[in-house]
Amino acid sequence: MIDVILSTMPFLLEGLWMTFKISLITIFFGSLIGTVVGMLRTLDYALITYPLGAYIHALRGTPFLIHLYFVYFMLPATGISWLQLEAFPAAVIALSLYTSTYVAEIVRGAIEAVPRGQSEAARSTGMTALQTMWYVVLPQAMKLMIPPMGGVYVIIIKGTSIVSVIGIAELVRAGEHATQRHPRELMLIYGMTAMMYFAYCYPVLRLARWAEAKFGSVRLPS
Amino acid sequence: MPDPAPIIVVKDISKTFDIPGRPPVHALRHVTNHVDKGEVLVVIGPSGSGKSTFLRALNGLQPVDSGSIVIDGVELTDPKTDLNRLRQGVGMVFQHFNLFQHKTALENITMPQMVVLKRPQGEAEEIGNRLLKRVGIGDKGGSYPSELSGGQQQRVAIARSLAMTPKVMLFDEATSALDPETVGGVLELMKDLAADGTTMVVVTHEMGFAREAADRVTFMDEGAIIEEGIPESIFDNPQHDRTKLFLSQII
Repeated sequence: MIDVILSTMPFLLEGLWMTFKISLITIFFGSLIGTVVGMLRTLDYALITYPLGAYIHALRGTPFLIHLYFVYFMLPATGISWLQLEAFPAAVIALSLYTSTYVAEIVRGAIEAVPRGQSEAARSTGMTALQTMWYVVLPQAMKLMIPPMGGVYVIIIKGTSIVSVIGIAELVRAGEHATQRHPRELMLIYGMTAMMYFAYCYPVLRLARWAEAKFGSVRLPS
Repeated sequence: MPDPAPIIVVKDISKTFDIPGRPPVHALRHVTNHVDKGEVLVVIGPSGSGKSTFLRALNGLQPVDSGSIVIDGVELTDPKTDLNRLRQGVGMVFQHFNLFQHKTALENITMPQMVVLKRPQGEAEEIGNRLLKRVGIGDKGGSYPSELSGGQQQRVAIARSLAMTPKVMLFDEATSALDPETVGGVLELMKDLAADGTTMVVVTHEMGFAREAADRVTFMDEGAIIEEGIPESIFDNPQHDRTKLFLSQII
């Protein structure tokens, strides 16, 4: 058993590294796009909010696997040269867009949960809409965003396993390879794979908890 | 005494709220009014009479459908007017205080000064501490809103507005959400401000305050001004039936 662990470990760690890379890049860009989309969605302009709403619902209402196929197989079929994507950028783009829709809804929900009186008070002192958002609304919305954001990040980390279908050797794919070499150690190898996911995801959840406590000085009026 | 140069001139403003599936609400019907420099105008009337809408129109928090509002020579209702700039000169105190929950009492007062007026932190804090003393809670600068009583929070909110050195202060039922034992103190503070020559528009249900502090009282009902005059004439000799009915119910 020890020799199986020792011989498969390097493969699995390589897979973990790939999972780590994809998820971190995805979380970064997904959060960036999602925050902007979420903030724009709280505006009062139908010309902005309707298209963004359509974007969010289209992506949330369809399976991620289709998005991945769309970016990796269908875009290249258009023949446009810059749409000929390698597997890695295709995976990152599809996952980032998918992540952004969840982040956007969290950001919008948190912003809208900050009582209207807070922004009215800020505007009444002469602050602009942007200053009000930055100094008054966002700091209070942040605390509300942290717990659901931690949840989404963990779902995305685990969800990266699906990009193995376009040939990316992430952690689950690495585990599969290892089982082909040691077909009688399925339990052990998938067990190790699961432990690695856990070792990555658990600290993320703890981090979200810690951040929630740290920024916990925000108290919304009841 | 009020200086007879109007600082607020309101001409023929109307506002209708259209709520789908319900009859439209005429919150303001052709309201015309003015406030002189140093004057204290108290607006009274039953719930839903449009008095809060009227007050919120005065700093553009509530846009109106028609009519014009001029504040100190600047037309608020002109789409070209920079509302943010105009609002610096119009302080507002809310029924539910609306203190920034993530900031201490002092920070609530310093933050708008620093963000809007670009005052350096030291100067903003000096002004903040002086105003906290003025409103009677000089020792509460480091407390968060959640650690303060309603009355204390409203004092901070008043100090926050005063820090912007406004030309006019608007009070939107500033004591309606307070515990009975803290109402008196906040009203005293408002009377002090009035006595100091602050131009004030006050929406309130406190008839005692209206009688004592108002230079002029406006009675509104169903979005229109029904009657107005000096406190003695409104309270002791109301002309209109609706004013009489309202006063008989509230006192």
